Amino acid sequence: MTRNKDRGKENPVAPTASQSAVTHLRLADSPEAGGPLDLGDLLLLVARGDEQAFAAIYDALGASVYGLARRVVRDPSRAEEISQEVFIQVWKSAARFDPARGNAKSWILTLAHRRAVDAVRHDQAATNRENKYDWSNGPDFDEVEETVTISLEHEQVRRCLDGLTELQREAVNLAYYKGFTYAEVAESLGANTATVKTRMRDGIVRLRDCMGVGA
Amino acid sequence: MTTDLHSLMAPYALNALDSWERETFEAHLEQCDDCRAELAGFVATAARLGEAAKQAPPAELRDRLLAAAATTPQERPVVTALAQRRGLRRTLPRLAMAAAFLVGTVGVGGYVAERNQADNYRADSQTITSVLAAADAKTSIKTFGGGGKVQLISSASKNSAVIVASDLPTLKNSKVYQVWLVKDDSPTSQGTFASSGAMIMKGLVGVDHVAITVEPKGGSRQPTTAPISTIAV
Ligand SMILES: [Zn+2]
Repeated sequence: MTRNKDRGKENPVAPTASQSAVTHLRLADSPEAGGPLDLGDLLLLVARGDEQAFAAIYDALGASVYGLARRVVRDPSRAEEISQEVFIQVWKSAARFDPARGNAKSWILTLAHRRAVDAVRHDQAATNRENKYDWSNGPDFDEVEETVTISLEHEQVRRCLDGLTELQREAVNLAYYKGFTYAEVAESLGANTATVKTRMRDGIVRLRDCMGVGA
Repeated sequence: MTTDLHSLMAPYALNALDSWERETFEAHLEQCDDCRAELAGFVATAARLGEAAKQAPPAELRDRLLAAAATTPQERPVVTALAQRRGLRRTLPRLAMAAAFLVGTVGVGGYVAERNQADNYRADSQTITSVLAAADAKTSIKTFGGGGKVQLISSASKNSAVIVASDLPTLKNSKVYQVWLVKDDSPTSQGTFASSGAMIMKGLVGVDHVAITVEPKGGSRQPTTAPISTIAV
């Protein structure tokens, strides 16, 4: 896992390359002149075939999508493949985005997470077919340990994760960053599935409140 | 393994359900105001976890994507979106339909598959949705070593259960899987399926379990083999 200590400080949203595109769109296409374009607005433009809006979305979320895929699947070229699929899907299906149901960032990161998790599960299933005898083995202890102590760039997320109980944190980490099903989480933590589901719920509620995410 | 469907909400938001339970939960989501009300906040929280993993992608990815976009056709705007989609949600059986929030994740291929699955369940949609939506709905899942799963969703208050089999190994000599409702050791046939299928079972009072046996094509009047699986109701 590559760790770049400097990156945590960079502007999270707008690398310079996107500035001109956003500015141009604001001047030329925004229905409310002067109103800031958020990702949802950009997606509406993408749905109408606007390639500059697409570039602006990539500039805003490319690093999040790639980093998330990388965290889940590990392999850089696989992560790149997944990122490419996600953004092509965004391009093709932008018309399906429904702002009433959630924000654009959540929509795109959910697409990315699903693809990444499907990929690890698919790869894992292929490995399992080759090594039938160890299909039930959980991750080895070192791996579990690593997900708990893994360095997160985002200070707030790290702080909020630190505020969870150990079981809540491990349940969330193994599920979200490793793509484990809750049954696999239970197996690897030696807890029962009902407990794991409860800890996941308690953990997300606590994270949500800690991060100040609107319910 | 028996679960209360609301409890799948958190694993769903973390994408920690297998595809099978994901579909079940998405069907539940269509019917459950409580879960739907909470979904956006949970999903946004998960998205924050995703952003925290942010890492610079290879520079050439941007150029490749922009080039791809320039030559990739887009889906036409979905005219059935919103209002019509909402109407659809009320009337269609949704056992395999995409989640409210995640409707957009289903691509063209997925949409076709989803439609076909929905058609399979259409006839019995009312019962299926009422079982899935029941406050006391319980689900049990059995995974088979040779591949495939059987899921039983039951509701005592609706006095009904839905059994859904998916991708069980194909049997030789046109044999089929037959589902039985067993009451006082006396089995009543509920129907047969080849590899995947769904059926509704009404009248759960006094039923001990559901059994599945392997039978000749067309099914048998009484089980002729020992059950390959039994699921307590
Ligand atoms: Zn619910």
